[in-house]
Amino acid sequence: MRLTLQLFISHGRVARRIGLGPESRINILRNILTGLVRHERIETTTGRADEVRFYAEKLIDYAKKGDTDAKAMKMASFWLTEKDLVPKLFKVLAPRFETQPKGYTRMVRLPARMNLDRAKMAVLEYKGNPFPPLSPVRKENELTLINQLLKAYREERSELFAAKT
Amino acid sequence: MACRTTCRLIQRRLSSTVAAAMAARPSVAELRGRRSEVFGREQARQRALYPRIEKIEVQVHGPGLNGTVLIMNKGLSTPLSCAKHLTEFHVTNSAVAMVDGELWSLNRPLTHSCSLSLLSFRDADPTLVNQAYWRSCASLLGQVMETSFKDDFIVDLLSAPELPVTSGAFCHNVVLDPRLDSWLPSEEALRSLSRGAQQLIHQNLVWEPLEVMPPVALEVFSHSRFKQEEVEKMAQESQQGTVTLYRCGDHVLLSAGPLVARTGLCNQYEVTAVHSLGPGPQGLQRRVQGLSLPLQLQAHHTVWRKLRARAERQVGVRNAPETSSPPPPPPPPLCKLTPERHTTSSV
Repeated sequence: MRLTLQLFISHGRVARRIGLGPESRINILRNILTGLVRHERIETTTGRADEVRFYAEKLIDYAKKGDTDAKAMKMASFWLTEKDLVPKLFKVLAPRFETQPKGYTRMVRLPARMNLDRAKMAVLEYKGNPFPPLSPVRKENELTLINQLLKAYREERSELFAAKT
Repeated sequence: MACRTTCRLIQRRLSSTVAAAMAARPSVAELRGRRSEVFGREQARQRALYPRIEKIEVQVHGPGLNGTVLIMNKGLSTPLSCAKHLTEFHVTNSAVAMVDGELWSLNRPLTHSCSLSLLSFRDADPTLVNQAYWRSCASLLGQVMETSFKDDFIVDLLSAPELPVTSGAFCHNVVLDPRLDSWLPSEEALRSLSRGAQQLIHQNLVWEPLEVMPPVALEVFSHSRFKQEEVEKMAQESQQGTVTLYRCGDHVLLSAGPLVARTGLCNQYEVTAVHSLGPGPQGLQRRVQGLSLPLQLQAHHTVWRKLRARAERQVGVRNAPETSSPPPPPPPPLCKLTPERHTTSSV
């Protein structure tokens, strides 16, 4: 997005314009954030995912204050349009990120949408969700032939080194 | 001085005995043809044991394959033909198979309904595959040694000691022609041996297994006293009293365990060193060593160079079966290639 200097300097623009106006923008973001809390991994356009990300992190910050906190409860009931998710936020997500100071979400780009408008797409997820990882994890196997050879090589080297000193 | 005279005596005696043996034996190409012929005859006989096609059920186990049942032909279908019913990945990446908990060559026909799993180099625990691969590479080394010399030089293959993968190299013991006793393999010679191996790998030859009774194996190895003894020893050790022969191209060899499916599974292959083990009953014994990695696990050239440097050192000095024979007299100085070093990793 930030390709030129003109675009990089914000000139008072702090947020994208989404929907029909400020109120519509907030409503759209509320709906997306509710979906994120419910499913923990959602797929949406890059712009919306990037916008929601800030509120998703902020909501966890409030939730970590605990459900006895008035401000936290107010925020939760405002941002979650489906009220059955409020207990999930305080009982599941807040304890999950207890030790983590920030960076509760992960955003990954997807191929652009091909059917409608070729919009750039992204996946937004809360970390520690129960789904399979987004990118393949590298499997380390100590027992493969080359790793066995290298292990023996390293052992021999360290023995030689120990014998020298 | 005394040492030198004894060495000369021994050499002269050895050369005279080997020369007598040489007069009796046919040329190398003839021998190979004869061995392959005997092998082919026995293979045809064993195939004729199943004149009617009978069906067996093979349960395939593996990631994403659990519950797969293949209906195959008894005595005709091999684990490789089961793999061909699955995916190309299974065909190209399988090295050996596990049939009812027994390691089974990929080209050996299935004789009963069984459970089958295909093993590859990237499995969670590929220890058995690694051993089979090391064994196969050692037998390929023997094949290379037998074919690389001119026809008038006789190469006697001795055993290929089973070494753990961690020893860093596989090896094959050979006795070269007595005229080559003073031969010190140069770097170019090793390179040309490696190229011979690469050509065999490029041909993608199949290691065909055949379980035979000892008389057939003795007929195959009728020229080599050492191999005959090995056949008898193996037949005694095995439960059914049979030995397993393998044929690769027209080279027939005796193996203690299953080999991998084909030579094309090897990718990087190098003959790294030829060490002298001192004179034995057949002549001056040499240990040829090599290093290889399969197609699925390739090493960067810097890593390969390190592993190769390690593979040049003599491996398996202490537990070599040849050293159990009467202790050899001090080797002639001209045969001593490198100072004998005991590698730390040899068990």
